[in-house]
Amino acid sequence: MNGMLKAVVSAGFLAAPLMVLAQVPAPVPPAAPAFGTHGPVVGDVAPDFTLPGATRYGLLKAPVHLADYRGQTVVLAFFVQARTKG
Amino acid sequence: MIGISVDADTTLASWAREDHFPMLFASDVDGKVGSLYDNYDAARKLDARTLFVVDRGGKIAYVARPFRVTVQAAYTDLAAVIDNLEPLPADTVR
Repeated sequence: MNGMLKAVVSAGFLAAPLMVLAQVPAPVPPAAPAFGTHGPVVGDVAPDFTLPGATRYGLLKAPVHLADYRGQTVVLAFFVQARTKG
Repeated sequence: MIGISVDADTTLASWAREDHFPMLFASDVDGKVGSLYDNYDAARKLDARTLFVVDRGGKIAYVARPFRVTVQAAYTDLAAVIDNLEPLPADTVR
């Protein structure tokens, strides 16, 4: 193989991976989570809410209003669904 | 403690009765409150298992996102936070 041919073959060899790379689509960045990234954080005022309430004794006549618990420590335990492991 | 989910209040009441849960439940059927806390998965129409502790002044004092129910540390961390927010009287003998 003469020098010129070697140079062509070498150039082709080197270029091949680049050509392959050029054909591979750019990686798609993972989609941003649909939720769980912009919620209240420590130090923020807890968003107030009013919701229908229930206990093991039945439905509450008055709705649950978070602001009514001011002065007490409150744990808000969101869960997936009743009667599931969530 | 207030348990919050998208279940109807009647479902929560019957579940609490059957399983003897002593806590208060709140029914967020349309996920509005879950959305306020950025905890509502609109695609699945369900909340995620997340826990917020709100202090006496109404501010968020602790967030467990997600709350890992099978991890012991999740409970000890939570207990430590609540102990810190609700200290026992100085003359209490443990």
